[in-house]
Amino acid sequence: METIYQGMYITVLIILALMLFACLIRAVKGPRIADRIVAVNMMGTMVMVMIAVLSLMLKEGFLVDICLIYAMVSFLAVIVISKVYIGVYEEKRHNHESKNKEIDVKGEETHGNT
Amino acid sequence: MEILEWIKLITGGAFLLCGLLIFLIELYGIFHLGYVLNRMHAAAMGDTLGISFSLIGLMIFTGLNFTTLKMGLIVIFLWFASPVSSHLLARLEVSTNENLENHCKVYENLEELEAELKQERIDEEKEAGGEEV
Repeated sequence: METIYQGMYITVLIILALMLFACLIRAVKGPRIADRIVAVNMMGTMVMVMIAVLSLMLKEGFLVDICLIYAMVSFLAVIVISKVYIGVYEEKRHNHESKNKEIDVKGEETHGNT
Repeated sequence: MEILEWIKLITGGAFLLCGLLIFLIELYGIFHLGYVLNRMHAAAMGDTLGISFSLIGLMIFTGLNFTTLKMGLIVIFLWFASPVSSHLLARLEVSTNENLENHCKVYENLEELEAELKQERIDEEKEAGGEEV
């Protein structure tokens, strides 16, 4: 019985590792930044299942605690990255618009003088 | 007792296999769909259903102890966390994409969308009524 369980755990781990590589390909290929974050989030979910399987395979109960903490950290990472990226984008657009306005004002002044 | 052990192995293995299958469908979806807002739909499925099935299978393997409770806690936490992160990612995409109109229709104010939906509903009712007559 024990050997069946061990074989099953190892098979599941190998399949999950292969799927993790496919997720990595999506994260590298993704044309937009949201694509990459979605792929990384998916990888986090798969790693959680891997840690849970590993805790049963090694018979170490504390690994499930690590899995819980991993879930919290990956959730926090997604929130922080998206908020920071929205902030940076808004700031950049604001700077760009104010610069364009300055150019417009200067152009009108020179027009008025001539 | 031997039979009970076998039942545990088979049900747990079936749940674990279901979880892996859902992860596989998720991967197919994420390569098949064309745009981020569509892909997010496939990715959210694995976050809730895939990990739930896998962890239920592992719970059946461990039996009833403290580890089971922690695994249940992970599933419940992900049910709360996954919609929030999906919402934030969708907002990130919508607010930073400058040519969103290429991928989907954008309504500037909500009344237009509501009026269009109402018109569609009226048309559908008319068609259904016509078929009945």
